[in-house]
Amino acid sequence: MILAAAMNPEAFSGAPDAIARMRRGDPDALTAMISRYQHRLYRYLLRLVREPAAADDLFQQTWLRVMEKIGHYDARRNFESWLFSVAHNLAVDSWRGKRGESRLDDANGGDPGEAPGDRLRTGEPDALEQLLDFERGAMLASCMHELPPIHREVLTLRFEEDMKLEDIAEVAGIPLSTVKSRLRRALEGLRTAMDARSPGRKGA
Amino acid sequence: MSEHEAMAGMLALAAAGALDVREQRRLEEHARECPACRRELEIWSAYSQGLRHLPQPPVPARLMERTRARLVQERSAAADRRWDELMLGALVLFAWTVGLTFWFVARIVTGGELVIMGANLVRFGTWSAGSTVLVWLTAAVAALALGKRRRELRRVL
Repeated sequence: MILAAAMNPEAFSGAPDAIARMRRGDPDALTAMISRYQHRLYRYLLRLVREPAAADDLFQQTWLRVMEKIGHYDARRNFESWLFSVAHNLAVDSWRGKRGESRLDDANGGDPGEAPGDRLRTGEPDALEQLLDFERGAMLASCMHELPPIHREVLTLRFEEDMKLEDIAEVAGIPLSTVKSRLRRALEGLRTAMDARSPGRKGA
Repeated sequence: MSEHEAMAGMLALAAAGALDVREQRRLEEHARECPACRRELEIWSAYSQGLRHLPQPPVPARLMERTRARLVQERSAAADRRWDELMLGALVLFAWTVGLTFWFVARIVTGGELVIMGANLVRFGTWSAGSTVLVWLTAAVAALALGKRRRELRRVL
């Protein structure tokens, strides 16, 4: 129940008050905000960086940065978008400091090669139901794990965080049109990966 | 590009709720007449539903407590830094004041002339240059000592 409330953006109505108290340095307000966002923020960071230890560290850094910048936060802005954009920027910075993996902004987001229209076909009758069970959920998560970070990011923000496209654009610092194209490519990439794992069950 | 091809390219975004009203209406009209697109839209919708119900990662143990502890530690370190800066500023000011006082005293005692190796040490320019070097050298040594002490404390803690 508590987790469900924490995951539901509508369940938390005291955000403006908590933000005002955070600005005054109230530790209880900070605790409330961390508690409120810990599941979502950690999940977002984990989807983005994939390593639990890195996500853990970035989570802590995000709150350090939030406390550092809270005085400059414009209360008219959506706090969630601002919070996630702080996390996004820190993840980008951490990427820049790493070798071996492409930077978040430069990560391969190329064309999937096959357009959805090329794949129009009739699937198995029970294929859609199968997609919703736990095993398929785990496979979907695993396939998502293989996508470039910029694609993982838009997928988690859109589907798990249920963010509006405008908010995703604000978080990632990209135009709305880029959000749409990334979202489409991410979905197509995900589907290609799913098809590759289940060659006999293409299309769903 | 045919209407079918154009609509097929929008199906994934439709399932993601990322089309505007006009595009959505156009797609719905097409899908009513096109079983292939209707089926494809169902598949994308299944992906959309699947993504909304991915297995949730557990939050690491004591993440909130550790975050709060780190915040406290950072605040304390920041307060230490501010205090050190204040102290160094005060020390430099004090040193300047002492230097200026001694300059007045030295001028009175020496009658305005204390020549060593061809330089009049109680001349304002010479005195202030010497004081500046001395003050900043002292400040640098103090800063280095404070930094070293802090690093040692961090190692212990």
